[in-house]
Amino acid sequence: MSDHNDVHLEPTPGERFSKFLKRGDIRETLAWATFYTAVFVVLGAYFYPKWMPTVMSTDMKAIERLMVVFTFISAPVCGFVMSIFTQTLRHRHKGDTPPPDGPAIRNNRLATSVFAGVSSLLCLTAIVYGLIELNSSAEAATKDAPNALVVEVTGNQWVWSFNYPSLGVESNVLNLPIDRPVIFQITSADVNHSFWPVQLGVKADANHLATTLAQTTPIKLGTIDVKCAELCGLYHAYMETSGEVMTVSDFNNWVTAQGGHSA
Amino acid sequence: MTNTKRAASAILSTLLGIAVVGTVGITLHTLSADPSGKLIATKEADTITVDGKNYPKASVTMGVYPDSATAVKNGSKPTKEDYVQYGPSNHVVLPAHTYVTMTLHVYDSGEKLNNPYFGKVVGTIGGTINIDGVDVSSVAPDAVQHTFTLHGLPTSSQDPLFVNVPLPHVEVNDKDEFIPTKDPGTNNEGHTVVFSFITGGKGEYVFNCEYPCGDGTYAKFGAAMSAYGYMSGKVTVA
Amino acid sequence: MTTLSPQVSSRPIPNPKKSLITKLNMGTGLIVGVAFALATYYSMQTTLDDATLNFQRNNQVLLATMFMWSIGFLVGIGAFIGPFRWLIGKDLTAEEQLYLAGDGQGIKRYFKYCTDHKVVGIQYLWGVIAMLAVGGSMAMMIRTQLAQPGAKFITPSIYNSLVGLHGITMIVAMIVVATGPFGNFIMPIMIGAADMAFPRLNALSWWVLFTAIPVLCSAWFLGGIPTGWTAYAPLSVQAGPGMNAFIATIIIFAVSTAVAGANITATVIAMRAKGMTWNRVPIFVIGATISVALAVPAFPTFMVSMIQTAMDRTFLTGFFDSNVGGSGWLYAHLFWIMGHPEVYVILLPGVAILMEIVPVFVRMPLFSYTAAVVGFAGIAGLSVLVWAHHMYMSGWLPMLNGPFMVTTEMISIPTGLIFLVILGTLWHGKPWLKVPMLGVYAFLWNMLIGGITGLYLSDVPADNYLHGSMYVTAHFHYTLMGAALTGAVAGLSYWYPKMTGRMLNERAGYISFWFVQIGFQILYLGMFIAGAQGQPRRVSDYAQMYANSNRISTMGAYLIGTGFIVLLWAVIHSWRNGVIAPMNPWGAKTLEWTVPYPVPLVNFDTPPVVTSDPYGYGKAVK
Repeated sequence: MSDHNDVHLEPTPGERFSKFLKRGDIRETLAWATFYTAVFVVLGAYFYPKWMPTVMSTDMKAIERLMVVFTFISAPVCGFVMSIFTQTLRHRHKGDTPPPDGPAIRNNRLATSVFAGVSSLLCLTAIVYGLIELNSSAEAATKDAPNALVVEVTGNQWVWSFNYPSLGVESNVLNLPIDRPVIFQITSADVNHSFWPVQLGVKADANHLATTLAQTTPIKLGTIDVKCAELCGLYHAYMETSGEVMTVSDFNNWVTAQGGHSA
Repeated sequence: MTNTKRAASAILSTLLGIAVVGTVGITLHTLSADPSGKLIATKEADTITVDGKNYPKASVTMGVYPDSATAVKNGSKPTKEDYVQYGPSNHVVLPAHTYVTMTLHVYDSGEKLNNPYFGKVVGTIGGTINIDGVDVSSVAPDAVQHTFTLHGLPTSSQDPLFVNVPLPHVEVNDKDEFIPTKDPGTNNEGHTVVFSFITGGKGEYVFNCEYPCGDGTYAKFGAAMSAYGYMSGKVTVA
Repeated sequence: MTTLSPQVSSRPIPNPKKSLITKLNMGTGLIVGVAFALATYYSMQTTLDDATLNFQRNNQVLLATMFMWSIGFLVGIGAFIGPFRWLIGKDLTAEEQLYLAGDGQGIKRYFKYCTDHKVVGIQYLWGVIAMLAVGGSMAMMIRTQLAQPGAKFITPSIYNSLVGLHGITMIVAMIVVATGPFGNFIMPIMIGAADMAFPRLNALSWWVLFTAIPVLCSAWFLGGIPTGWTAYAPLSVQAGPGMNAFIATIIIFAVSTAVAGANITATVIAMRAKGMTWNRVPIFVIGATISVALAVPAFPTFMVSMIQTAMDRTFLTGFFDSNVGGSGWLYAHLFWIMGHPEVYVILLPGVAILMEIVPVFVRMPLFSYTAAVVGFAGIAGLSVLVWAHHMYMSGWLPMLNGPFMVTTEMISIPTGLIFLVILGTLWHGKPWLKVPMLGVYAFLWNMLIGGITGLYLSDVPADNYLHGSMYVTAHFHYTLMGAALTGAVAGLSYWYPKMTGRMLNERAGYISFWFVQIGFQILYLGMFIAGAQGQPRRVSDYAQMYANSNRISTMGAYLIGTGFIVLLWAVIHSWRNGVIAPMNPWGAKTLEWTVPYPVPLVNFDTPPVVTSDPYGYGKAVK
């Protein structure tokens, strides 16, 4: 029996793939990629909730979750990039003379397609997640509108003031009752400002002779910081005030003390 | 060039560069000094009880002057622009945990607030101010000449403090002359506004006027309103 | 255009005493410019109607004075001689054109209206260095104020001016940082051309930019500006006299950019060497051309928005005044329709430089040239569709937030291709870690962080929290400074031998690189933390809870400042005392490394013929 009669079979895609995975450089890449992906996941999942303020509304909760989810989505990309980064540094050329020429790889259609495909898929996931989130907060806004507490927010250089029309109260602090949807109707008496009650996770610019809306439901008792997020001149940094999410009875007491009538 | 010379040149040049940037910094810092120094509240001998707590008393007097010349006459240092300004200084120092009484002599005309909220008195004892001997809790938004609005950054290192005092305008006749008003105890043509509030612990705050007098500018909040040190200032509680 | 031959240089100009162009230079420009400015100022002050409101009149006078300074300078330096002669039917003679090209004038030609692209490139280099130095010093002031809460280093007014002027100085510097020095000096040689398509326009673009620099500096003497570099209306309409300096700077700069953009694009399209087909063009040229081609349609909207702001301030037109039917949203749209493409105008050349560097220092071809071009083109194309992601929170039309979110997130795909090209080129390579190559690694990390944080910001619900916070500031510094400026600095160390004939001091290069990059991470990672914690941006003071992250950030800033001072020393010192560079110290294959230093006036003795792309490294793969 001679060897010439043996049929040389093309390796199947499966065989080619497992041979590919057994290559030393690929294994090193995968190892580093896994390591870096894990690092980024842990960093994002741990640090974002740690740094971001107390979750005090439904919207803020969604935002912190979103930061973590997007970290998961982007971590593989970070892992891949840092993996090649590390690997090539490890194999760097040492010395003052130029390195020898490397292999003349001008293209790899498969690698390009896989990369473009995977990154597009991750991008699509981010888009879809974001659109769903955007839609659900819009829906919640419409649903909660009837029993919401309306707060008219006026920004002017360089103080926030709040008017509760249904309660007959005007104030420079933003106090809110817990578990009741609140609709902010925001306007400016002069230049552009941006109304930002930090712990409530909503923001809307204040424009002159226009009303912008923000809506959320406070779900936790505590202090709210209200800041201005659009440079509005000299004392932009001092255009801040605070407020509190209170129990309903405390809120009603406060309303009465301000000379208003509870709704 | 030897290695040592080169290294010396590099290090010296770097230090020189840092010195140049430092000089710019020092220049900006010098330009930021309070134009008229600090106005320190006078501590009073007696004390007062409010809501069951005892507080020492202090008082401070300021004015709002329609132009630089009047301000200088009343103790301010000359300023670069001829704007309406608070005086004799725009940096007030108040003692902590004290019942502070502020007296403001005001001499200007007025028109309309951008935000009528600032016609209300907020944060003073009793929620009122005393204008020429009469206690009021608000001034009509179109009869305000300036406001003294004291506020600060809400931060864990200091107590909150918010006071808004609308200052009533002095009327003018057809010839743009001030009409003398009844001002008990002085010959001034303006009003005397007196109010009190209680300071918290140590902290840094700011005050600015909320009545727009920057004529010609958008929302009339440019010019004097937006230039630091005329219609704005600092309050240090020490 | 006349083809200049070296023999002509030995013929003197006929009637040299009569030729005006020999007498004009920067000095005469300054004299005429100041004269025009003073004449305008005093004539307007005395003739303008007293009844015009002080505010309006002040703005009219200042703006007119600034524009007349610019025009006067250009008259004084001889920018209009060529066009004027052409208008009256007598173009410049060949000898005059040779004179204008700086032939035989030594160092004096750098201070004249010189049409030689190499001279313009060096002029841009020094202009950029000056702007980065001024802008960087302002940044040091900003960080000093923010080193601790309750800081009393400077007044809020000076702080706000620093923030706005630092921003615009850096933006202008970054727009020209790569295309100015390298797009002018290196690019024509790289494509085998003798000069650019429009040499006189080339000189014009530099000197117009030059006139904008004193105008911008004058803002400090006019009370500063209360806005950021975005100059949002109506705050910009309310602003004091300093705002006029900002407005005039932008209008003048827009002219420079338009001229430079047209010039670069025409040069690359029409003047490539024989045999340099489109797929043999070096990737730096592709990236730079796409970038300026994007700038040409984008910048006019910024210019228009500034003209409208000026009109609101001088004639109360009310474009941005809601009281009379105008709207601040109009400004925001016009600004950001420029603003977003503009950040890619900044980014693309820096990235393209790094793509040019990688093959040389790993001795392998560029991976997937097609993907690189598609990446650049995709970014440029998509960038005109995303501008309203800067306006998610403005309230202009919430229902369009979704579509803009989609287009914005899609930009991550061509950006990914850019990464793929660089990573693919590095793959299986042994990188030679000279100073230019270090920039590639810094880019990979910085653009990664910048790009990923951009993903968070592009998401509308997340932007509800992140917009207007320090998170945004950290994100764009990672991309504009960490990626684009790193690329430009890498380009400087890479092309320094060709532009100066000497090698940039290597140890200083390494020290500067590490100081800057480490300081950069400390500064901006600290800033991400402050932003995530809720610190708004552009604030002169902040609450106690942000103290730690800010203190750390400031230390990083000082490290960066020191690193750049070291780099500046290296640039200056090596120019005179550096090791003389061989003709091709890096062993690169692009055309600029085939010419000696000093580069001859017409670059090539015989125009080159190109037979392959410049990435022919490497042993063929089996």
